[in-house]
Amino acid sequence: MRPEEFPEILPGAAPDAALTERIAASMAQDLKPVRPLPPTGTTVVRLLVVFLAIVSLGSAILGFSGLLHLSPGAIAVIFPVLAGLALLAATASANATTPGSRRRFHPAVLMAAGCAVMATVFMLVFDDHSLGSFVPEGLVCLRAGLLWAVPTAVFTWLLLRRGYAVDRAAAGVACGMFAGLAGLSVLEFHCPNFRLWHIVVWHLAVVPISAAVLAVIYFFGSKRRDAELMQ
Amino acid sequence: MQPSADLEQLMVRYQQGDAAAVTELVQRLSPQLHRFFLAQFVSRRYADDLLQETWLRIHQVRHTYRPGEPVLPWLYALARNVRVDHFRRTRRREDRERQMEELPATPAVQPADPHGPDVEAMLRELPESQREVLVMLKVSGMSIEEVARATSSSVGSVKQKAHRAYEKLRRLYEA
Repeated sequence: MRPEEFPEILPGAAPDAALTERIAASMAQDLKPVRPLPPTGTTVVRLLVVFLAIVSLGSAILGFSGLLHLSPGAIAVIFPVLAGLALLAATASANATTPGSRRRFHPAVLMAAGCAVMATVFMLVFDDHSLGSFVPEGLVCLRAGLLWAVPTAVFTWLLLRRGYAVDRAAAGVACGMFAGLAGLSVLEFHCPNFRLWHIVVWHLAVVPISAAVLAVIYFFGSKRRDAELMQ
Repeated sequence: MQPSADLEQLMVRYQQGDAAAVTELVQRLSPQLHRFFLAQFVSRRYADDLLQETWLRIHQVRHTYRPGEPVLPWLYALARNVRVDHFRRTRRREDRERQMEELPATPAVQPADPHGPDVEAMLRELPESQREVLVMLKVSGMSIEEVARATSSSVGSVKQKAHRAYEKLRRLYEA
């Protein structure tokens, strides 16, 4: 006997025919046509439209002071990176709510890597290391960023609510990262405070905070939904 | 092993409300799902419960299958999810009962089948994640890509787990 022969000799008692018949009959009893989820690409495009709409609205309401004071070089670096991360987060969110989807990275790894990339970009672009009113100014930006992450999270949930997350916390992290990036983008358009540590600490904090909050909400929310499904 | 295109067509018909497709899916996929649960060394009764719960969940979220995608990773992702939930519920219940009665816990794991007890003993030595990957690859006949999808991990991670499982089994077999 060799390990390669295991499939033939693994414990393999088949389920009772009566049991499978009962399962099939109960499923057939409540059988209505259902509309399958749209392809991942469609969902990602919809999420990006939401992202763009909320970032535009947020920036229009708060003002474009940040964008107006940024150099063309900084704009050319910061916003494409943010857009790329938003695309990755949208894809991760769509995949996390579809069982059996391809997952190259755990959303938490993606979020950590995304934050590291953004921090590096900020360090390359901004060179004012002074702190100024670090905490009071920082709290204002953090609040504003989180405020715009909330509607993004709500619309993301609306778009993905038909899906089913097998890894609830990971789905929350992916959606939270996506919402947090929307909040961060609004701040980059709006905030004219170009002190490096203000941006690295307070602007960037919107992303992990959103991810952590949504991970908790998704975990407990989906758990309750699963309990309802099984009733 | 199931021809995947055939299963995909059955899933599409199931989503369209075809009762014959449901019966065929249940008849064809239940044995391998049951074996998947038994290979985690749960009792036969637990495996039956898990099988029923899995089909119930599949039924509730059947719209999340995307036509054109492979069926088995979707199915096994849900089966794993049911197993984890079931395990957590059982553990909580057992903890509560133990606290209340302070009785020694009844062993939850019972040999499911008398065939090849040495294989079972060897499989018991594997960490759960490696055992799961091995069962999906060798019993359910899934590809590495499909196992990666079902377990929400990367292809590299699945290859590594399978390699470690084979190595360990080989060592145990030779010992």
